[in-house]
Amino acid sequence: MAAEIGQDECFVNEVEPSVDELVVNIGPSHPSTHGVCRVIVRLDGEVVTKAEPVIGYLHRGIEKMAENRTYLQVVPLTDRLDYVGSMYANWAYCRAVERLAGIRVPERAEYLRVIVCEMQRIASHMMSLGSAAADTGAFTMFIYAFDQRERIVEAFEELCGARLTYNYVRPGGVSFDIPEGWAESVLAFCRDHRTALDDIDALYFGNVIARDRMKGVGVLSAEDAVAWGASGPVARGSGVNWDLRKHDTYSVYPRFDFDVPTGTNGDCYDRARVRLFECYESCRIIEQALAQMEPGPINASGMPRLLAPRPGDAYDHIESARGSLGVYLVSDGSVRPYRMKVRSPAFCNLALLPMLAEGHMLSDLVVILGSLDPVFGEVDR
Amino acid sequence: MSGLAWGAFYGLAAGLVIAVAALIGVWGERKVSARIQMRIGPQELGPFGLLQTLADTVKLVLKEDITPRAADVRIFRIAPLIVFAPIAMSLAVIPYAAGFAPLDTSVGVLFFMAVPAISVIGVLLAGWASRNTYATIGGLRAAAQMISYELPRTLSVLPFVLLAGSMRPLDIMDEWRWWWIPLTLIAFVVYFISSVAEVNRGPFDLPEAESELVAGYFADYSGIRWAIFMMAEYGGLVAASLFGAAFFFGGYLGLPGALGVIVLIAKATLIATAMMWVKWTYPRMRPDQLMGTAWKVLTPMALVQLVIVGAVIPWL
Amino acid sequence: MAVNSHNNTDTRNHEIGAPAQAPHVVPVTVNVTDDFPGGVAGFFARWQSLLTGLGITGRKALGPATTLRYPHEKVALSPRWRGALRLRGILGLDDIPIIEDTPPEYNALIDGLYRADRLPPCVGNCPANVDARGQGYYLGEGKPAEAYELVRDRNILPGVLGRICHHPCETACRRNYYDEPIAIRPLHRHAYEEYVKVASERLEPLERTRNRRIAIIGSGPSGLAAAYDLMKLGYSVSVYEKEKKPGGALYSGVPSYRLPREVLHDEIDNLVTLGMEFKLGVEVGKDVPIDYLLGEYDAVLIAVGLQESRIIPVPGHTAEGVTGALPFLRDANWKGDPGVQGKRVLVIGGGNVAVDVARCALRTGATEVRLACLEGEEEMPCHPWEIEEALDEGVIAMCSLGPEEVLVDDEGKVRGMRMRECISVFDASGRFAPQFGDEYTEVAVDMVVFSVGQGPVLADVVAGSDLTLTERGLLPVDGTLFTTAQEGVFASGEVVTGPGSAIASIATGHEAATSIHRYLEGLDLAEGRVARPVPVYDKYQVAHIDGVEANRRRVTMPMAKPEERATDFRHIELGITHLEALNEAMRCLRCQSEVCVGCTFCARTCPDYAIEVERVDDPGERRVTHYELDLSKCCFCGLCAPQCPTNALTHTGQYELSFFHRDLTIFDRHEMLRDGAGTRATGRDGVHEAVREVPR
Repeated sequence: MAAEIGQDECFVNEVEPSVDELVVNIGPSHPSTHGVCRVIVRLDGEVVTKAEPVIGYLHRGIEKMAENRTYLQVVPLTDRLDYVGSMYANWAYCRAVERLAGIRVPERAEYLRVIVCEMQRIASHMMSLGSAAADTGAFTMFIYAFDQRERIVEAFEELCGARLTYNYVRPGGVSFDIPEGWAESVLAFCRDHRTALDDIDALYFGNVIARDRMKGVGVLSAEDAVAWGASGPVARGSGVNWDLRKHDTYSVYPRFDFDVPTGTNGDCYDRARVRLFECYESCRIIEQALAQMEPGPINASGMPRLLAPRPGDAYDHIESARGSLGVYLVSDGSVRPYRMKVRSPAFCNLALLPMLAEGHMLSDLVVILGSLDPVFGEVDR
Repeated sequence: MSGLAWGAFYGLAAGLVIAVAALIGVWGERKVSARIQMRIGPQELGPFGLLQTLADTVKLVLKEDITPRAADVRIFRIAPLIVFAPIAMSLAVIPYAAGFAPLDTSVGVLFFMAVPAISVIGVLLAGWASRNTYATIGGLRAAAQMISYELPRTLSVLPFVLLAGSMRPLDIMDEWRWWWIPLTLIAFVVYFISSVAEVNRGPFDLPEAESELVAGYFADYSGIRWAIFMMAEYGGLVAASLFGAAFFFGGYLGLPGALGVIVLIAKATLIATAMMWVKWTYPRMRPDQLMGTAWKVLTPMALVQLVIVGAVIPWL
Repeated sequence: MAVNSHNNTDTRNHEIGAPAQAPHVVPVTVNVTDDFPGGVAGFFARWQSLLTGLGITGRKALGPATTLRYPHEKVALSPRWRGALRLRGILGLDDIPIIEDTPPEYNALIDGLYRADRLPPCVGNCPANVDARGQGYYLGEGKPAEAYELVRDRNILPGVLGRICHHPCETACRRNYYDEPIAIRPLHRHAYEEYVKVASERLEPLERTRNRRIAIIGSGPSGLAAAYDLMKLGYSVSVYEKEKKPGGALYSGVPSYRLPREVLHDEIDNLVTLGMEFKLGVEVGKDVPIDYLLGEYDAVLIAVGLQESRIIPVPGHTAEGVTGALPFLRDANWKGDPGVQGKRVLVIGGGNVAVDVARCALRTGATEVRLACLEGEEEMPCHPWEIEEALDEGVIAMCSLGPEEVLVDDEGKVRGMRMRECISVFDASGRFAPQFGDEYTEVAVDMVVFSVGQGPVLADVVAGSDLTLTERGLLPVDGTLFTTAQEGVFASGEVVTGPGSAIASIATGHEAATSIHRYLEGLDLAEGRVARPVPVYDKYQVAHIDGVEANRRRVTMPMAKPEERATDFRHIELGITHLEALNEAMRCLRCQSEVCVGCTFCARTCPDYAIEVERVDDPGERRVTHYELDLSKCCFCGLCAPQCPTNALTHTGQYELSFFHRDLTIFDRHEMLRDGAGTRATGRDGVHEAVREVPR
């Protein structure tokens, strides 16, 4: 894609002037690209005739770097995949390692993982909803959402000392047990969070302007969602009832009672509102998990310092905030992975952008981009 | 000679008033937005952070004034003034106190509606001269938007002309009665919305839509020139608030001198606060929806209002 | 490179609570789609939505602000905010703590250390809590005599145990996690060998400060441990032994290829020098009744051990050529001839004693030695290295077979053994309940030695006292306080625990000594006593040691050649050299000492190469000369801290370091040691410190 466009078109002024079309570069440094994505947009007036995402600005070669690190040292790298949902990449990677090395994780660690990942889902969705709202100019809604996210980040900081790159889930367990009083503060948060979600729903999703901006924009049919490999809220917004927590269940998720919100129209509104409703469900899961959790060890016993799984491969995926996040690991029996491959939901979802944006206005483009919720650390890796 | 001197004096005074108003307006906006967003807002400099905007102004004045290499230099440099000057001029016809309007003219209402429209040209020039795609789009959007909203805005003020039988603001103020408020409620809604759109504030801030066009027509401006754009925006806000306070809420209530000015400003502050409240509550509209609102919602509403007032007048 | 793709789906079944079949049809219960109503209602609903928005923002505007005034309030909020990476201590500036024996309160000390997470796993896993870390420290510092004495405080015969102990310490050694465990047992032996050279200078009789006398029946490891503890407390102790030489099972049962008798006697001679009084050749119950002891002494400890071998009453068990393990070993050890010359021997049993019997039989001229046990190869109760050595020497192991009948020839002599296939040894709840199959095996042998357990012979000992035995001939003893039914009489060792290891017997001896001391002092016996704290240490998986430097590997104990050593009772472990011992001692990571020993595992784990560690390894001069953390590289992932074997390195948060004091990027070792409160890196630590002063 990028090679086709060519380096010369980076600067608009060097493009041969055309009376029909205006070429606008959205990004790589732009307020609404959620990172460093560049979208080359061709405009007919305000109408987008072609939008091409150019990725790779955040490429750090994480998959290749992983080949030169021990299994444990890869964990901090996975933090930097999806940096608004570090727990997911941690967990997906650790699950692959555990599957590869046949490690059994203690039950308490599984509960802790579920709790932090559901909190991370709320934090990530708040980030997504907030920035999508900011894309439409609703900056106050952005602040309200970030206020909620901030509380989770505070809780994470109290839990593991980090606010963004938690490095919390480790092969065989987690790095810290919950500090005193933490569970109570999380329960209190869940209670407050529902009220905050109600406010967000009424303020933004009930607002006529926001509805006009999002409804009927970027409609993705269920067939297309499946065909393009979309997952997570993007697919569920189109009515694809697919959630790995239910449909390929893992960890202790079968023990919880929760629903999978889905949309019907597949437009930006449904995609965004699925995220909102998932936050309610995450609150339910957190409350159940905290009630069910029992004291016990938080790390698998007797793991050697350097993991050297038997030669073979393993794939595991979890439902991240953006969709099904998979990690494929190949071991050649040494202490370092022979190959790591990340199946990034953000990458697959971003691929929908040209199809969804075509024929809409420039203002809709940022709304569509926001509703796909790409995180470029994960897209580019 | 005396006319020129008066004009120079007036220009200076208007610049000063707008500068002070912008300083307080920016501070107020920060405080209002902070409160709405559960924040504290400026707090470190001066009481309640009042001096924060002053410090920012000093910073802006001292900043380098950058002109892009590709820009059309002369137009680029003069565009902020073209935006600012009509806004400053529009302040002249506002009736501040009993018998006091700096420019007391019999076509005051028309003047107030027509002159600020000139700043559209400045915005267009700024967007064009920047030679920047974002700025160009922003400028074009601004032109379309401001011209469209001229219509409902002007229509919303016409009921007063009908009621008072004059276009001279002081005359209208003399004729003003309290029951005009319920009578012109629809007009006020139209005036309020179209004024917000006229000064490019949210939810109608498409020309400078940050998430789409970075900063729209003034994306390439910096330092004092950027500050002039901001002053123009707040000047427009102040002018619209003062004018709205005068016509829709009785202005100075017949009070003369400083007392009248204070009453007017107090009412205008409420309107300005409401405009900020609206800005920090709603998302931004899309250009086509914006046009649709102007033509399909506001204009018919203003016409309905006109019909109502027209129907009432024979009974007075 | 060949990569085999193997089926990993089975691992999913390991998961907690995962259903066998994932439900693929989940009903949609929540639909998010919503829209305004049509018509006029929609017009008003639209305007109402705008007013609702204004209402929400207006309400929030009148409410309190949730943001904080940085950094004051922020600091007060975050309890974990106490510094990113810090060393609690560093070798060269701080000393390794030595767990000094403080009888009779040693167990309380161990318990406290364990609860404070300051107990090294080797010490915790040892039944007698021998301070192996302190031994490593002293040996590394070039003080073998101190090391020996430290070990002797808890392990009465270090030279002996250094040869025969089953070393649970090495199983728990944290070095397993990194490469290979420290050779703690050979170091005991080495410490003894060094101590012998200076023994005459260091041995001084212990002072008797208390006017109380204690009799100990039995001079096995348990009795000696109790005697030594009580001597240290100032009591007079007499040890009664029915044999001519002291040592108990060490003397009669352990074959001399594992334990040269001169080592045992030398160590016991040292105890005599310290003031221990032995009454050899006096059998309590026959020569002196226990009544006499009770009258003569203030307290009596029964530590007679197990005297009798069990023989399974299968048909033919009375035939000539059937014997028990203990008589067999006694004959082998004392006479050098258990009567197996030229015979084929079958040993029944899979324990360590059975292996000892088998290896003794080889050494005394048996032509063929077989070992038959119920358990499968993997689950044999003996230590794996024992059976491995025995197999090297030529013992034939026959696993999963249960004795059915001893085949007897016409003269009443053993001619063979019929055995039945054993399917499983334990039932679901882990109890001994062997299940047999239908296959039978017969072996032609001339001698059958049953080594399936031992029992005490106490009837004579307790005759005349108030003590009574159970139906099975056992003495009822409190398992924690080691008291018996009669006041003033205590019991320890295998009498109490049943067949076990020497070090476990020693542990009971220490406990019994504590009880005796408290009894004599009139203190509450039970106060603060729990069943000895038994920390549970994980069993380590075998570490990946490819590429581990040679000097980091465990020393290998040179062994005599199997084909040669199997012919006589020569010692099979040849010992390690002084230099090897020094190197081994310095491999010790000084776990849980909270002092950085420069092991470099943090630096090796750091993905960003932010840590530099240098140390000097000279004997007696071991210290960390350089510890540097480069914060400009550090990503605060915290992988390093869990690697620290000593808990010296701690990691908590990253926030403040990314926020304040960017100028300070290199932490040298002194900076790493900075006090937790009010550090330079954070300027604050903990809530109260933080509120006091906040740098901008």
